Amino acid sequence: MKIRLEPARCTGHGRCYTLAPNVFDADDEGHCVVVAEEVPPAHEREARAAVINCPEDALEISGE
Amino acid sequence: MANPNLDTREVNMISAEFAAQPQPVYRELVTKCPFARQVVMGGPVLSRYEDVLWALRHPEIFSSEMEMHMALGTERPMIPQQIDPPAQTKYRKILDPRFSKKRMQEIAPAVRRHANELIDAFFERGSCEFDREFAVPLPCTAFLSLMGLPQSELPRFLRIKDMIIRPQTLMESPTMEGAQALRKEAGRQIYEFFGNVIDDRKRRPGTDMVSYLLETEIDGQRLTREEILDVSFLLILAGLDTVTATLGCNVAYLAANPAQRRRLVEKPESIAGAVEELLRWETPVTAVPRIVKQDVEIHGQRLVKGEMVTLLLGASNVDSAEFQDPERVDFERERNKHLAFGGGPHRCLGSHLARMELAVAMQVWHERIPDYRIEPGKTPRYSPGIREVQYLPLVWDRA
Repeated sequence: MKIRLEPARCTGHGRCYTLAPNVFDADDEGHCVVVAEEVPPAHEREARAAVINCPEDALEISGE
Repeated sequence: MANPNLDTREVNMISAEFAAQPQPVYRELVTKCPFARQVVMGGPVLSRYEDVLWALRHPEIFSSEMEMHMALGTERPMIPQQIDPPAQTKYRKILDPRFSKKRMQEIAPAVRRHANELIDAFFERGSCEFDREFAVPLPCTAFLSLMGLPQSELPRFLRIKDMIIRPQTLMESPTMEGAQALRKEAGRQIYEFFGNVIDDRKRRPGTDMVSYLLETEIDGQRLTREEILDVSFLLILAGLDTVTATLGCNVAYLAANPAQRRRLVEKPESIAGAVEELLRWETPVTAVPRIVKQDVEIHGQRLVKGEMVTLLLGASNVDSAEFQDPERVDFERERNKHLAFGGGPHRCLGSHLARMELAVAMQVWHERIPDYRIEPGKTPRYSPGIREVQYLPLVWDRA
């Protein structure tokens, strides 16, 4: 699974790094940083939760 | 879909009934009347998730720059809430790091300690008035600590906040003029108080917000005294009232729904999900205003340049086009992109602070008092606008 972030859409809700701390982190402003673009199978579940819970629709799954 | 018969449907957002239970009205609006009108002033109201989100994301059409007659005792717009990008973006760049999730976690132990102290004061009594004894004082601790102010300032800030947000409750015979006068006086006191804080921090800088704002630059320029005052003003209004309201809404819901409360007590790991779901269902900040910058058509109706439109966040949060089974309160909800903190560039600056305070409070409360109910024969009282449960009498068994 691969994750794609559209940084211009992110406004720092922080749902991603709360729900999937193994896949996302925050920069100083609290905006999303993808730490594992290629998501290991063990973290796919949390990554998916983060993607479907982003209120700004800034994340997508770009390949499985 | 345009329906000319419904476009004049009026929403009474200031009634006590609406404040206590807005969800049935939301349902009507979302399904039958996505373009409604407010009873007071007649302004348009948007309620569908898709419309509200679209408006929140397009500040070039839906501006946050209110006319000054809408002002809450301020002489200038509050920063960054009442200004639009691109200026707003620059302020958020310096403010967001101060309100990041990581930073807010650092003050969680202090909030936990204070929550326990508050409960200590009434636990043995087996009853409390939740608003006055818990929901009001708790968020003030966090605010005062962020601002580097002593806790002894608490009563002063509570009074100022009420003078601005609900002046009617402080007047014997409420009038619009009286309310405006109280707001103006509160505004004057805030400017004066923070003016003194600025002078003090200039002499003796600390790690607090005002010291930070004094040494921060935007495009190589220090912030002016006015800018620092305009940020401080917002932090008082936004930081004190909203979490109080949310705590009240959450606990009132859980007191009235024992099965849900037991779930939370038995599975404390579901608290994070419960906080999100109750933000969605209760949406304590029911609506946000925007000023229309250019004529735009929606649902066959025209929004006219210059008019104020109400974005009904609470209604968007029960829209079945976005939320599966929206009437069900489900702490395990898989997909929950609620708009309780707004969205787009004005996403609530304090959302990480609020989430931390809510999670800590819910955890401590249910560890100490897992089994509580609304005092028999009594009815909680909700205030309109920001749904603070101003009267929430609870009882529990001490054994």
